[in-house]
Amino acid sequence: MAYGIKRGIRFQILSDEDLDRIHWSTLHILEKIGVQVDSPACRKLLKDNGCVVDESTRIAKMPSHLIEEALVKKKTSITLAGRNPKYDAKLDMNHSHITANGNGAVTVDFETGERRGSTKQDVANSSRIIDALENVHIHWPMVSSTDQDPAAVHLHDLDASLNNTEKHVMYETGVTLSDAKHLTEMGYVAAGGEKEYRNRPITSCLQCTYAPLQHDAGVMDASLHFAEAGVPLVFFGMPQPGATGPATLVGSLAVGNAEVLSALTMIQLATPGAAVIYGMGNAPLDMRTTIRAGGSPEHAISSAMATELAHYYGMPSCVGVSATAKVPGDQSVLEYYTGCVGPLLAGADLMCGVGLLEDSSCLHYEEIVMDNEVVGAIKRLIRGEWADDDTIPLDVIEKVGVGKNYLAQRHTVDHLKSEHFMPTLIDRRSYDAWSTSGSKSLRDSARDRVKAILKDHKVPPLDAEKQKKINSIIESTKKGLWGGESKTY
Amino acid sequence: MEDAVTRLKNAVINYEMETIADLAKKALAEGVDPLVAIEKGLAEGIKVVGERFGKGEIYLPELVMGAEAMKAALAVLEPAVPSGKHRASAGLVVIGTVQDDIHEIGKNLVATMLSANGFEVVDLGVNVASTEFTKKVEELKPKIVAMSALMTTTMPRMAEVIGPIKKKSIPIKALIGGAPVTDVYAREIGAEGYSGDASSAVDVAKKLVG
Repeated sequence: MAYGIKRGIRFQILSDEDLDRIHWSTLHILEKIGVQVDSPACRKLLKDNGCVVDESTRIAKMPSHLIEEALVKKKTSITLAGRNPKYDAKLDMNHSHITANGNGAVTVDFETGERRGSTKQDVANSSRIIDALENVHIHWPMVSSTDQDPAAVHLHDLDASLNNTEKHVMYETGVTLSDAKHLTEMGYVAAGGEKEYRNRPITSCLQCTYAPLQHDAGVMDASLHFAEAGVPLVFFGMPQPGATGPATLVGSLAVGNAEVLSALTMIQLATPGAAVIYGMGNAPLDMRTTIRAGGSPEHAISSAMATELAHYYGMPSCVGVSATAKVPGDQSVLEYYTGCVGPLLAGADLMCGVGLLEDSSCLHYEEIVMDNEVVGAIKRLIRGEWADDDTIPLDVIEKVGVGKNYLAQRHTVDHLKSEHFMPTLIDRRSYDAWSTSGSKSLRDSARDRVKAILKDHKVPPLDAEKQKKINSIIESTKKGLWGGESKTY
Repeated sequence: MEDAVTRLKNAVINYEMETIADLAKKALAEGVDPLVAIEKGLAEGIKVVGERFGKGEIYLPELVMGAEAMKAALAVLEPAVPSGKHRASAGLVVIGTVQDDIHEIGKNLVATMLSANGFEVVDLGVNVASTEFTKKVEELKPKIVAMSALMTTTMPRMAEVIGPIKKKSIPIKALIGGAPVTDVYAREIGAEGYSGDASSAVDVAKKLVG
């Protein structure tokens, strides 16, 4: 059975005419307004390929044929491989995959409840939780190893992730060329070599563009390296409607789209055929609190529209969800449900990501397990329904006849697990049964499941030989093997 | 080669409701004591099924299929039990949906759960006249009379059964349930047991006979 959530229902929000108009507007933005490109290497690439580049403003205006050519050159069949092949996520436009959220700096300690800096142990524990959950398919290092050498935090994050889950690991921390080189190398080692990695990339990198209409030098230099090295990329636009994008969702989407397509174009010019996934997190700025509203209906519908846009381009989508809740509970569930259901109903290929609160900055272990349940319910919503001899069993209906029940029919047992969502946390027992077993909240039950996972779930670590190489890569950052370069403009 | 009793046990565990009657007939033909076949075969089998359901390893349809298999074998074995002998059980329960009420599923689930947990259950069906309940209670002398009502309008029928039984000082406990029924109502009409769902009905029944 294919990995991921099979989907048979797809809502349509934008019409073909709407999509054409967004595309046309994006080409207009790139040709007439341009994007700021801070990487000299990328500016040279654009200039050599016919763009109008102003070195003083670093703004590049891109002719539309370059964009159209990039859309033709891109890799269309992308598989995000797992360390264990049973977790290979084929982005076949027919399955949705849920990812963990990433790189929170703060963790609320599972034992003491203390709010503190995240540690490498938190990365390891959350990786193991993700590995155990049935509805999360792609791992991200969920928090940063802030207890480690600052120069090597991202490498420690990847180390702890690779050792504690067999699922694909996507990181969002390849933001300098040296980081990119180290992270790539670690992926090669874990996969068993460069050739093996290129065939089955077990890591990938999500890169954010800077709204409105800017590309960071470090991010793009790192991206050129990743593309050349065979590391799949996501370019993730993050305009905030009303702040760094127009207040209208579609207008903001056009700005983000210009960022993503210009990044795609640079990558395809440098490495034709590189694997690039279309990413977008068009979440508004909350105008009362100045916080990004990651679990808002606007973000959800924007992510749904971004998915339609990605599919219009023949690209898999990677769209965002998060929550502003401070504790796992009613608000976090409401925000994650809202944020996930919209894009998944529209056919999102990658939904990133679950498990963090305070707008992707704070980890509570329980939240990961609670979001797994949220996705479980949505999984049933998007499966699709159909009428045939099997779903309308006239023979069984006749056999049971009038006034009896279907409980003891083979047909019932055969369809139970595929037709009915069986919750792991939602408590459907009667009041009496619930109260006599401790009156547990959803969060209490989530805690129980976290405890069970941390106690019993085992993940085979990397073998000693590979671990030795990874340790030496981490160690090399101290000696400055590739040099910690400063940004150039 | 499994012996006939083990085969019957496994047939319940594997929900062989279509074929278990033949196994029961074969066991009798081989000279197996029907009481042993019931107590060491069927009852042991349904116990395993009930435990699996309790642990969440299997779901309701599987539990019901196990109970159906047991029922099919009982239909063969029980008539063969010598008169005067009776199979051991956690207790005899007479169950039914009250007069003017034809809602069946909840009552059936309770009956299934009880039999999966070692009780012997006599199911009177639905729309059971109050006089029929009292008559069966006097005749069968069960440990528990269990009644279900799904409508507020039929709830009072429960009191109609409990009243006469209490008056006659028959040593029996009443267990009631159904959507509109509450523990408060149970106390009000003198029912010793109340359960809000089929799973907890078993615990309540065990307490009542314990």
